[in-house]
Amino acid sequence: MNPVSSVFVLLGAFVALLASIGLLRFRTSYGRFHAAGKASPIAFLLVAIGAAIEVGPLGAAELGIVAVALLLTLPASTHLLFRATHRTTSSEHLHVDDLSAAEAELVDRDGASGAVSSEGEERS
Amino acid sequence: MIADIAVAVFLLAGVLAGIRLVRGPDLADRVISLDAALVALMGAIAIRVAETGDTLYIGILVVIAIVAFTATVVLSRFVETTGRSS
Repeated sequence: MNPVSSVFVLLGAFVALLASIGLLRFRTSYGRFHAAGKASPIAFLLVAIGAAIEVGPLGAAELGIVAVALLLTLPASTHLLFRATHRTTSSEHLHVDDLSAAEAELVDRDGASGAVSSEGEERS
Repeated sequence: MIADIAVAVFLLAGVLAGIRLVRGPDLADRVISLDAALVALMGAIAIRVAETGDTLYIGILVVIAIVAFTATVVLSRFVETTGRSS
């Protein structure tokens, strides 16, 4: 392989390894989501850059599509997991919690108007 | 040579995520570790693409990315609606 693409590929593999070590080592669920959800797209992006240098322009475009899809979808799905964890469990590590207050306010407003049934209302 | 090392590192990352997949106390931990393992698999396939120059495998990467996203969304909705965290 090209030395430049070798560097990118090894860097991406190293970042993926760091993500998995963080997934294994961190003690709280939120910390584990941070480790895996932020490092994984970066890891794949680095490997995709390395592979895009090797293959031609057509393959590079396809790899770009995959990388953009992963960069768009993985933070969104990690956010959904964060919210599911926040709604179903209580953690003593959360010192600042704006989401609970915002959801309670939403439930109050919808309950007062009585018009829309939001998700927060279903759950309460 | 370098591609073999990188694939081995990705394999190690997938195995570590698999340990968290088995051990993880909450269901959400298992979901995110499955996601991390799938990203490790995608990285290994991308290295295969870089090594051989064969662009046929990139379609598999698209499919894995879509399946991983759909599975994570569905399972997080499952955790939310049932209220079962583990």
